[in-house]
Amino acid sequence: MMRRLRDHSLGLVFGLLFLLALVGQAFAGHADFNARQLTEGLPPVSLGRYLTSASFAVDVAENWQSEYLQFFLFIMVTVWLVQKGSPESKPLDKAGGESDQEQHVGRYARDDSPAWAKASGWRLGVYSNSLGIVMGTIFLLAWLAQSVAGVAAYNEQQLSQLQDPVSWAAYLLEPDFWNRTLQNWQSELLAVASMAILSIYLRQRGSPESKPVGTAHDVTGVES
Amino acid sequence: MPVFHRSLAAVMLAAAAMAACSGCVGQSDGAATAVKHLSTALTAGDGAAVCAILAPDTRLAVAESTGTSCPEAISDQGLTPPGAIRAVDVYGQWARVVTEHDTVFLAAFGAGWKVVAAGCRSRGERPYDCRVQAG
Repeated sequence: MMRRLRDHSLGLVFGLLFLLALVGQAFAGHADFNARQLTEGLPPVSLGRYLTSASFAVDVAENWQSEYLQFFLFIMVTVWLVQKGSPESKPLDKAGGESDQEQHVGRYARDDSPAWAKASGWRLGVYSNSLGIVMGTIFLLAWLAQSVAGVAAYNEQQLSQLQDPVSWAAYLLEPDFWNRTLQNWQSELLAVASMAILSIYLRQRGSPESKPVGTAHDVTGVES
Repeated sequence: MPVFHRSLAAVMLAAAAMAACSGCVGQSDGAATAVKHLSTALTAGDGAAVCAILAPDTRLAVAESTGTSCPEAISDQGLTPPGAIRAVDVYGQWARVVTEHDTVFLAAFGAGWKVVAAGCRSRGERPYDCRVQAG
């Protein structure tokens, strides 16, 4: 049991931290929402009502979409773009989709390769891009969720200010939608760029995200 | 870059759709009913009944406008019966009911929908100008 927990500790710990952070956001957001309710002369709402509100949904979704966009872009862009000296980059001469032999697919598949890696045609094509497809799909769904919840939250604010609500299509052109979107995108892109560059010169002993401490700065695509 | 992620996007989308429930039948009915009660009270000239439909801050603003009680002051506000309901928009705790002669803004309270502003005239991008609203 302990062995199994240890072998999956990375996913389990981050999953647990995610749930704790989400619960924390729910309580903090509920308190903030009710503070605004009182300011507007309205009664406070229950935690359950807040958790099904557009306000909570848009706050969650806008962060989710940007995180999944970050990883989707990182997964896809690093196929073709390289960064000399960065452990986040492939070796400089490996840019592109690489050969079947290097990817262990088709007739180069190994005995323990996933079934669809041994296949050919559409199954191999889908499986070869499955990580990007899933991350990209989650990004699009989360962004859609942000827009759907966002227009409801925006219209709630509009009505509280005695102004007309807007349609979903009109909301996609509103500054509120793009402000929520871009403020998240810029921070994610900064974090990726920082990681790619700083990891050239800085080390974290034992971390697979870092080069071994003694590895030269100009060595590319080497992780601990 | 080994990263372990779990997908909850479908749940998120469902939650967003639920949260974005605009014009949901029960909510719309409640807001529309409140406006019908307002119309009935205004038609009958029943100031106490009109004030009972107003939100607390709006009731207070009406009373303070003349230095008397809300039922006494409401007749001086120039409110007329809003007429037939044409559209109802509900978003979270707020609703807008567009009628034949008026636009009414309402908010959800424990006892149901209360009128926050009535006798409202559109000013385009700026907030509606209302005969009755919270201070």
